[in-house]
Amino acid sequence: MSALDVTSLSVGFGDRQVLRGVSFDVGAGETVVLFGPSGVGKTVMLRAIAGLEPRARGRIVLNGRDVSAAPPEARRIGMAFQNFALYPHMTAFENVASPLNAQGIAAPAMGERVRALARLLKIDHVLEHLPRQLSNGQKQRTALARALVGEPDLVLFDDPLRNVDAKLRYEMRIELPRLLARRATPSLYVTQDFREAMAIGERVAVLVEGGIAQLASGAEVYERPATLAVARLFGDPPMNLVPAQAEARGGGVLVRAAGLGFGFATEMPDDPIFGIRPEGLVLHRDSGPGRTAAKILAVTPASEQYVVLARTEGGIELLLSRETPPPSEGTEVWIGAARGSGALFDRTSGLCMSNAPVMEEAVA
Amino acid sequence: MAGKAARSLAKVLVVLFFMFPIFWILVMSFQTNGEILSLPPKLVFTPTLLNYASLLVGHLKTSVGMLTITFMRNVMNSFILSAGSVALALVLGVPAAYAFARFKFRFSEDIAFTLLSLKFAPALLVVLPVALEFQQIGLDNTYVGLIWIYQLITLPLILWIVRSYFEDVSPDIEYAYRVDGHSWLGGFVKIAIPLAGPGIAAAGLLAFIFAWNDFIFALVLASGPKQPVTVGALAFVTASGIQYGQIAAAVVLSIIPTFAIALYAQRWLVEGLSLGAVKG
Amino acid sequence: MSLALAAVSKLYGAGSAHAVQAVRDLDLEIGEGEIIALHGSSGCGKTTTLRMVAGFESVTKGEIRLRGRRIDRLAPARRRVAMAFEGYALYPPLTIAENIGFALRGKKSAAKAEVREIAELLEIGPILDRRPSGLSGGQQQRASLARALIRDAELHLLDEPMGQLEPQLRAVLRGRVKARIRERNYTAVLVTHDQGEANAMADRIAVMEAGRLEQFGTPDELHERPANLFVATFFGEPPMNTLPAVASEDGYDVLDEDAAVVMRVPAAERAAPKGTRVVLGLRPRRLELGGTMQQGTVVSNQWLGNQAHVALEVAGRMLIAVRPARVAARVGETIGLGFDPAHLHVFDAASGAALAHRREA
Repeated sequence: MSALDVTSLSVGFGDRQVLRGVSFDVGAGETVVLFGPSGVGKTVMLRAIAGLEPRARGRIVLNGRDVSAAPPEARRIGMAFQNFALYPHMTAFENVASPLNAQGIAAPAMGERVRALARLLKIDHVLEHLPRQLSNGQKQRTALARALVGEPDLVLFDDPLRNVDAKLRYEMRIELPRLLARRATPSLYVTQDFREAMAIGERVAVLVEGGIAQLASGAEVYERPATLAVARLFGDPPMNLVPAQAEARGGGVLVRAAGLGFGFATEMPDDPIFGIRPEGLVLHRDSGPGRTAAKILAVTPASEQYVVLARTEGGIELLLSRETPPPSEGTEVWIGAARGSGALFDRTSGLCMSNAPVMEEAVA
Repeated sequence: MAGKAARSLAKVLVVLFFMFPIFWILVMSFQTNGEILSLPPKLVFTPTLLNYASLLVGHLKTSVGMLTITFMRNVMNSFILSAGSVALALVLGVPAAYAFARFKFRFSEDIAFTLLSLKFAPALLVVLPVALEFQQIGLDNTYVGLIWIYQLITLPLILWIVRSYFEDVSPDIEYAYRVDGHSWLGGFVKIAIPLAGPGIAAAGLLAFIFAWNDFIFALVLASGPKQPVTVGALAFVTASGIQYGQIAAAVVLSIIPTFAIALYAQRWLVEGLSLGAVKG
Repeated sequence: MSLALAAVSKLYGAGSAHAVQAVRDLDLEIGEGEIIALHGSSGCGKTTTLRMVAGFESVTKGEIRLRGRRIDRLAPARRRVAMAFEGYALYPPLTIAENIGFALRGKKSAAKAEVREIAELLEIGPILDRRPSGLSGGQQQRASLARALIRDAELHLLDEPMGQLEPQLRAVLRGRVKARIRERNYTAVLVTHDQGEANAMADRIAVMEAGRLEQFGTPDELHERPANLFVATFFGEPPMNTLPAVASEDGYDVLDEDAAVVMRVPAAERAAPKGTRVVLGLRPRRLELGGTMQQGTVVSNQWLGNQAHVALEVAGRMLIAVRPARVAARVGETIGLGFDPAHLHVFDAASGAALAHRREA
């Protein structure tokens, strides 16, 4: 039995339909990440599942119980908010103990559970403080403790690492999955950061324009994005998407883009777009088959790699990434594609036609 | 340099302008009638406590005999009426303010505005019809009647001030409380009210001051034993002459509670709600 | 030399119990046409510094000069500075076009074309006729940025100019904004807490912490030659691995929590006299898996699309290794690790100052 089963969830505000009949499930002990750009409806979805969205329509089943009409207090859910939402007039201890209070748990047992979780989250030494006396990191961990302490059927995380500094965010990206795995707590986690999505979730649901465009493991979404929107959103630096010329050739399609050629075993797209990830492009010093001339415009160090912005002779801007320091700005280089890299999209339908080029060809 | 001196001078002038009437009344309260009425005004005199004494004791010897004064009774009435109407306004207004802040129902803005505009309407317009009505239903000259009509003064104030304090509390905090497993009523009582506390207190104190200062309603709807201090001061306009000294003393005594409250409320209003439980 | 800050300090609430030294003794010099970023975590003093340059905060001590002219006592309007505010500060009754073109009110015809041009650049062409209320945070932010960039001022100050934009739009706009600033040879100072933005936009980055300037250098310098431990661990994601150690006869002895020696690192040149307590720094990219120097337990192994981030527990500490390809290591497994001592950065444990940097091996 899955921990969460959402069927045809729709939410509309006036004449604007934010979520259109979304359906998905979260398995027992699983963490599913809701990923998407800001404003797409991730927070709305979370609130609907928590019972905080009166305009929501659809069926929500938690651990076999239909809670679609139930008020939030009856759903047995924990929630960690983006801006923490701690009770300012209560100590950290009282904040964390709040769900246990509502459950009517006696003081001694309550104290034990709060303190045990606080030790795990390293806030046991500040439990008697008020929220305003805590650092951002401590506030966030207090909010997490509060969401987890009641051992709910499902935990909802609304971008909890957004307002936390980079160092702590990275630490939590490693600690949080460990914590959730240890407690086998089913969770739904919202984020706009694709790396966080891949690090924290077993599966990622990419939300685009009111619906789920793709629901698969993070690696799958990254390597085989189902639509143009997903390809554009999932990845930083973003995937290069270049308008291409396509012609039918031997049962497949030959695609030319940015001075490079690729073959795909698929149908002719209506409006072809060629996509290739920055790490799928390679810089060479000399020309050769399957390479196009370009000039390096900018080099940016980022996240233990180097990102290069280059412009081809044909005027197309491409982003490349690599581990080792690249040549400096202004250098003339040759760009080729790594084996097996490249995807073909159709702008009209937005769908990915193929993720696997079958051959590469030099373009004169 | 010149700018600073000019600013200081301006400040002194402004303070003088506002504080002068109060200062003068204070002086008058320590003078006899004779000294008050003399021209040019006497600034050097021997202060007398007779005015205050007569208010507290209850009678005054005048040129035409003993005058019974019920001033202390008036003070008690003011307290009863003001406190009573504020209490009622809080009981009615705080939940209503919460509803306006949290539930955006149809016409909520219009209803809220209508309720506020009650404050703008001159009391004079309604006081006579109300007096007639009250006489018919027997509420004329009763505490209940006055407290009820005082809602026109206190309720709009409470609604508007408390609503904005509720709006300032992030709804996420109440949502979190509900997700924890508490009912929305629990959220209202344990979260919303404590967090809007300073605002509720300030609104209550402000409403107390406004109710205390009411004149028109009390004048028409209350008589004798039920009159508050604002109307009670009229008793000093007697057939045998106006007892300016007593009026001044009465004014000073009736300002003291509201003055103290205003100083106290100022701290609450300034305190604000930056309680740091929300990231910021 | 365009902008110079000399020993600038800002003290709030002087004399009271709650006095806060927001900025301490800041010395900064920026050249014409340079783009610099003031970068640090919240509360470090970067925004206060920007506001002092703009004139919205008084300077407690020190001088600010713009092209040689002393500006720290002038009203903001007299400083010839353009600013994009973090809170946007758009004029509510005016349309976006009027907001952006506000400074160009005098020159009618040219203004319209320029407003359109900058709006297209920042992808807000379609909303030029709307008013600020009702627009999203991201749109308002771009309007505020356009308003600042359209002006030909001596200095452009940008306070968190792109924080509200989603990642994809941000990547594109960063490039365009930088190109435009270069085109017009503007001198720009931007404040950001986003390291990616600082890296992408700035020629040099001023890293600030607790009111002090920790280091002022190019992204490369900050990454490869951090001046102290703070900059080393602040700059770079994932953060630099740190190992407390003590300088020994022939290298460094890495210590665990109980000050017992867990690993001996040979070093041809020692950066400190024997017995000095140091902190060794190693970038995650340089931590090799499968080496023989030490053993560690795999705590997590995350594949992030184009990088594997492997967290290892070694002698009570957590170290991170980053690889450009998948790593076959299961959680709980014990694997060997190692590194080339030449890749170490060495910091003095007491002061945090850098003693030696990674040598190009």
